Amino acid sequence: MKLFLTSVLAIALALANTAKADTLRIGLLRLEQDPRYDEDMAYARIQLRPLGDVSTAVQMAISDMKILTDARGLTTVLSQALADETDLTTVASELASAGVTHLIVDLPAAQVDAVATVLADTQVTVLNTTAPDDWLRSKCHANLLHTAASDRMIADTLVQHAVSQKWKNILVLRGKTERDGTRADAFMEAAARFRLRIVADREFDLSTNPSMREQNNIALITGGSRDYDAIFMADEIGEFARYVPYQTALPRPVIGATGLVAAEWHWAFERYGAPQVNSRFEDQSKDARRMAWQDWSAWIATRAVLTAFAKARGDELADANALLRAAKLRLDGSKGAQMSFRPWSSQLRMPILLSTHNAIIAVAPLEGFLHQTSTLDALGYDEREFACD
Amino acid sequence: MRFILLAIFLVFAPATSSALNTGRIFVSNEKSHDIYVYDADFNLIKQIETSQRPRDMKLNAARTLLYVACGDDDIIDVIDVETLEIVDGIPTGPSPEVFEFSPDESQIYVSNEEDSMLEIIDLLARITVHDVPTGAEPEGVIAPAGSNKLYVTSEVADMVHVVDRDKGVVTNNIIVGTRPRRFVITPDTNELWVSAELSSEIYVIDRTSEEITEILEFLPPGFRPEDVTPVGMALTRDGGIGLISLGRANHVAIIDARSKELLSYVLVGRRAWSVALSRDEKIAVVANGLSDDITLIDMQTYRPIRSIPAGRVPHTVVIDD
Repeated sequence: MKLFLTSVLAIALALANTAKADTLRIGLLRLEQDPRYDEDMAYARIQLRPLGDVSTAVQMAISDMKILTDARGLTTVLSQALADETDLTTVASELASAGVTHLIVDLPAAQVDAVATVLADTQVTVLNTTAPDDWLRSKCHANLLHTAASDRMIADTLVQHAVSQKWKNILVLRGKTERDGTRADAFMEAAARFRLRIVADREFDLSTNPSMREQNNIALITGGSRDYDAIFMADEIGEFARYVPYQTALPRPVIGATGLVAAEWHWAFERYGAPQVNSRFEDQSKDARRMAWQDWSAWIATRAVLTAFAKARGDELADANALLRAAKLRLDGSKGAQMSFRPWSSQLRMPILLSTHNAIIAVAPLEGFLHQTSTLDALGYDEREFACD
Repeated sequence: MRFILLAIFLVFAPATSSALNTGRIFVSNEKSHDIYVYDADFNLIKQIETSQRPRDMKLNAARTLLYVACGDDDIIDVIDVETLEIVDGIPTGPSPEVFEFSPDESQIYVSNEEDSMLEIIDLLARITVHDVPTGAEPEGVIAPAGSNKLYVTSEVADMVHVVDRDKGVVTNNIIVGTRPRRFVITPDTNELWVSAELSSEIYVIDRTSEEITEILEFLPPGFRPEDVTPVGMALTRDGGIGLISLGRANHVAIIDARSKELLSYVLVGRRAWSVALSRDEKIAVVANGLSDDITLIDMQTYRPIRSIPAGRVPHTVVIDD
């Protein structure tokens, strides 16, 4: 009997040891030919998007946090995978079987949705770093968190600036892609909340076809309407947007896709420790490239996971996952505000930077835009506006 | 022989000169690369151009020299307090931010923000004795007398490293709140206070057990918890009163440093950072990073007296009186 008791105790101890997560397995999943990073998108070799990939940012977060995870007796192991669209979900499942508990994904929204669905019954938490689509938030996958700002957060940021500058009448120009439509619709919704007037909502065309000149001639597409204070452009690729400033029918600022843009991050940010994050990234990236918003978003996703493990009260996976989703996560993203995930949409609440090509003009939420519980929730769908599908 | 003695005397004369008690107030301005010097009546008397990005400043014990860490030129400028000229410079590792002297002033401990090192520099030989690896973005450094320990924060790793300063090794890591910034040690040397800027807390650490004993939180009326971003702290010499700057909450909290009870919130400028007390402890001076000014606080009434323009992004205040 005594023997039996000791062996039970031994088994209990052994179980306690194995349950203790001393190896922390993080996965990073990307698309092999992600059209969003296509270098040849603009024919004239003009860089419209960041070159290089977000793995540098994930590795940087692991090394930034190493001393803290070490202190907790944790070793972080990163498994990276590239997959094409057809075997993406298979690769995701393989990562889950290999013991990955937190999977960082740099994928378009439809693929994030597919991966979250296939991993629904596993222990894996998926972190969406680059898909801004609000419909993905409304899917309410229990295993999905978002560190990419939603389209609505980006739109609210631009609208806050327009309101504070008293730009009350806005001309909207949108591209023909689905993403451009989503961006433009999000802006119109945000604009309606603050009673901005949309003087016209027009679709631009990239061709030089003379019969479409109302859509592809910049003077024509920006003319023939009542007066406006600013032009909002929804052009995710940016190929049309880059020609619009200085050619408009009325001399008005261009925002959204060129000129003044809203994003999670910009290399020119110089407050709250941002220069140190930028220079660490430049040191660690292959060609000393500047940190783009996609990189920040992957960095903060990794940092969120490691912070949760390092600061959780208990050693179980459930303890880390509870802290990861709690308001007291108090995550630091070098943007001067403590951040956490919104319980209703699993969206990271964060400040958004308004920048030109080389300067930060403002950080939203702008002064004077308040919220009853957290000013950061003035950006994006608030609890009462949000509904799961 | 007499001649030689005289020569030796001359060489050492500046080092033995004593405190001038000029009453001057020095404010380092991170973005205008200068130090504003005010007289005892707070009139601006000089702007000293320094190396790029001056941040932390300390007087030597004799109060004759002011040391200034200049982050973008990797140097600590040394300024003569009487002539207000730069007389020397101590090269450091990349991006020195905050530093501290050893109690005997033979060594200087510098946090190098860019390469995540605490550098221990021998002041006479001007060589680096130890490079102690820390978590990313080390900031606050403090080296209490009567101990071989020194403490440094890592803003990114959210911890306080305890360093053996003779051996140059980390002996313990204490996990605290988000983005730990600065330290003070109570005059009885028992308590180490750490400001955690982004979790809006002050951690009180028992120096013997190296355990967290108390976590202080502040909320001036009309502000949200997330607006409270404490950085700078100061204690009166008797350890009775503590001042804590609350960053974007634009207030300084004044507390009973023993019971930790709040005495008052004082409205100052935007993003209140460094706090310094005059020697008679009648006035506190606060640097406001986002409104480019300093605010004077009357320590008898706990009211702001007035705010005075400084340079661009004032960082640290030092008072020579």
